[in-house]
Amino acid sequence: MSRKKYIPYLYILPGLLMVVFFVFIPVISNIVYSFFRLSSYSSDASFVGLDNYRRLFSDDTFFTMLKNNILYALFSFVFQIGFGTVIALMLESKLAGRFRNIYRNIYFMPSLVSLVAVGLLFTFIYTPDLGLLNSALRALGLEQWTQAWLGDSKYAIYCIILMSQWQWVGYNVVLLVVAIQNVPSDYLEAATIDGAGAVKKAWYVTIPLIKEQILVCSIIAIIGAFKLFTEVYSTTAGGPGDKTQVLGLYLYQNAFLHDDLGMAAATGVFIFVVTVVISIFQIRITKSGQV
Amino acid sequence: MKKRWRKLISVLVSGTMILTLAACGGGESSENTQADNGEGKKVIKFFHRFPDEPYNTFIEEKIAEYEENHPDIDIEIMSAQNDPYKEKIKVLVGSEDCPDIFFSWPGEFSERFIREDLVLDMTPYFEEDPEWKDSLLESQMAQYTTSDGMIYGIPFRLDAKIWFYNKDIFEECGISELPTTWEEFLDVCETIKSKGYIPIAYGNVDKWPASLLIGALNLMTVSDEVRDQDYTPQTAEFTDPGYVEAMEYYQELIPYFTEGAQGTTWDIARNGFSQGKAAMFYPEVVEIPYILAENPDINMGMFSFPVIEGEGDPSILPGSPEGFLVSSKTEYPDECMEFLKWFLGPEVGAEMAKEVNWFNASKEAVNGIEDPMLKDAYNVIAQAESMSPWFDNVLYSTVKEEYYTQLSDLTNGDVTPQEAMEKIQEVVKESKSLIGEEESSE
Repeated sequence: MSRKKYIPYLYILPGLLMVVFFVFIPVISNIVYSFFRLSSYSSDASFVGLDNYRRLFSDDTFFTMLKNNILYALFSFVFQIGFGTVIALMLESKLAGRFRNIYRNIYFMPSLVSLVAVGLLFTFIYTPDLGLLNSALRALGLEQWTQAWLGDSKYAIYCIILMSQWQWVGYNVVLLVVAIQNVPSDYLEAATIDGAGAVKKAWYVTIPLIKEQILVCSIIAIIGAFKLFTEVYSTTAGGPGDKTQVLGLYLYQNAFLHDDLGMAAATGVFIFVVTVVISIFQIRITKSGQV
Repeated sequence: MKKRWRKLISVLVSGTMILTLAACGGGESSENTQADNGEGKKVIKFFHRFPDEPYNTFIEEKIAEYEENHPDIDIEIMSAQNDPYKEKIKVLVGSEDCPDIFFSWPGEFSERFIREDLVLDMTPYFEEDPEWKDSLLESQMAQYTTSDGMIYGIPFRLDAKIWFYNKDIFEECGISELPTTWEEFLDVCETIKSKGYIPIAYGNVDKWPASLLIGALNLMTVSDEVRDQDYTPQTAEFTDPGYVEAMEYYQELIPYFTEGAQGTTWDIARNGFSQGKAAMFYPEVVEIPYILAENPDINMGMFSFPVIEGEGDPSILPGSPEGFLVSSKTEYPDECMEFLKWFLGPEVGAEMAKEVNWFNASKEAVNGIEDPMLKDAYNVIAQAESMSPWFDNVLYSTVKEEYYTQLSDLTNGDVTPQEAMEKIQEVVKESKSLIGEEESSE
């Protein structure tokens, strides 16, 4: 009997080791690194205490980054979760007709394109002289609306945000469609008998029942907003000036341009704390696990 | 029986998983031993940053040729694009896997490796072989020499920035004389603009173009002594009023740039020049092949930077060779130098000029060139008395980033030159504390 007791642990062991090696150890060593000054091509490390955090929080661009990441999160929430849910509901309603599969694929397609390719594509679209956007505006006689887009201090960050909304709305739509399909039809029938219209059915029956999926999608979207990197790197690299700087890019620049790995680790810890706090908060307010 | 099988399988599965994990860590050592035993050849790892065609093929062909003539040498080639290269090499140089020969820019980019003692001192090799030293352009070798006389690299391709202009557009606008002073230059811009052409093809979405233009202006507005001091990260201050002046001159050019320059990439701006929409362009001479590829019939000429009266020296040409360094950890320093002597020498240089239109630093490389445009460009570099390295390469990385940011804001009109320099000075001050710590921890 006693021999059998340890057997379940043997089964857990490989998975556990993987999680420990690839998740917990890196996270903990990252926290340790954030108290040191170290570079990638020399083995010296000097303890600097909280100095990396002081430099992070007193950096002029810190609030620009925070503002950009929060803007991105808000837009992601509104577009990917808000519009995403509406589109998913419409796709699953009678409105979509017999082409619903085609619509779903069209919405889903952008999320299959690699991030860098999307960045390049939109760099061309936003190019002031030859780009699709300005050319279209000129063709419509809206010459005065043309801008330098990615080079404009005010609009650049919105250009990047809208680009990734275009990419990710469809992804969330598909996830939500699957959840909607799992809603038992008896509930909807009962609501119909009670005289509920399409909007009321969606609001009182479907949405409460797909709450868990909406929660997962919104956590992913908001965490994604704070990990934002490739979209900015492949379009403006933080410019013009530092108007589109974000936390992820700042981390990367410190690690690979300035060889300041401690500073990069401190930025990483900050991103980690922010995303963990937001996730806990979201799970609390939606009372996950209860219907 | 069945149960036993299941147990055996599960143990095997978990065993292989753990082994794979262990293998991830142990990969390096087994690779090394294999390479050493492999046919008893001396393996030299060679890391460059020219994966684009036709340059990549040219490098590979030349190396294959060398391996054929030297059966005991096996050169392993790796390459990466410009920006990824910068990141990878920084990690590799300090590691056990450091390539024996690697590409590096002269100036601060290489000197930080020298400070960590990671680069082979080539000076003794040149002292032994003065003929070799004489065969290379002195002005170019000077850039791969530290201030205390250590030669640490050899140029692979020469480069400089010079103004290009479209002769047809100049003629159409009735401009018969090339501008030599700043005032004349601005007049020319105004004339071209009034005729409906873009005076200066310019795209600054990537932020480095502005820094190179400012670098050229600094050469004229700031005295040599001050510049030398500021271009060394340990002594930099950037408090000279000349730096603000340079930004003010830059501001005067902004109305003549490609429209929406801040949202335009350099490549698209260059295309505006090669397609005859823009009259002038301030490229590097290594871009000539790209311009000719975009429009082989372009009728273009060159002129040097218009002179600004100031503290500086207008005869200095902004530009810098790019070349190769040898790791101080290499097992075969002599073999590496032997290879570089050939690879960066006159024979390969002449073929390189002919095949890919790039020049190396050997004085005889020009023999292979027939195109007058290329010949002119080569002469500009070969005859330059002194050159100044690319501005962004001499700056400490945080200062460089701040310069990029401020110049980008300046171009958009979000800051004044005075404000921009004040912010840069702050970062310069902070950077010195970072460099200081780096050194004291050694």
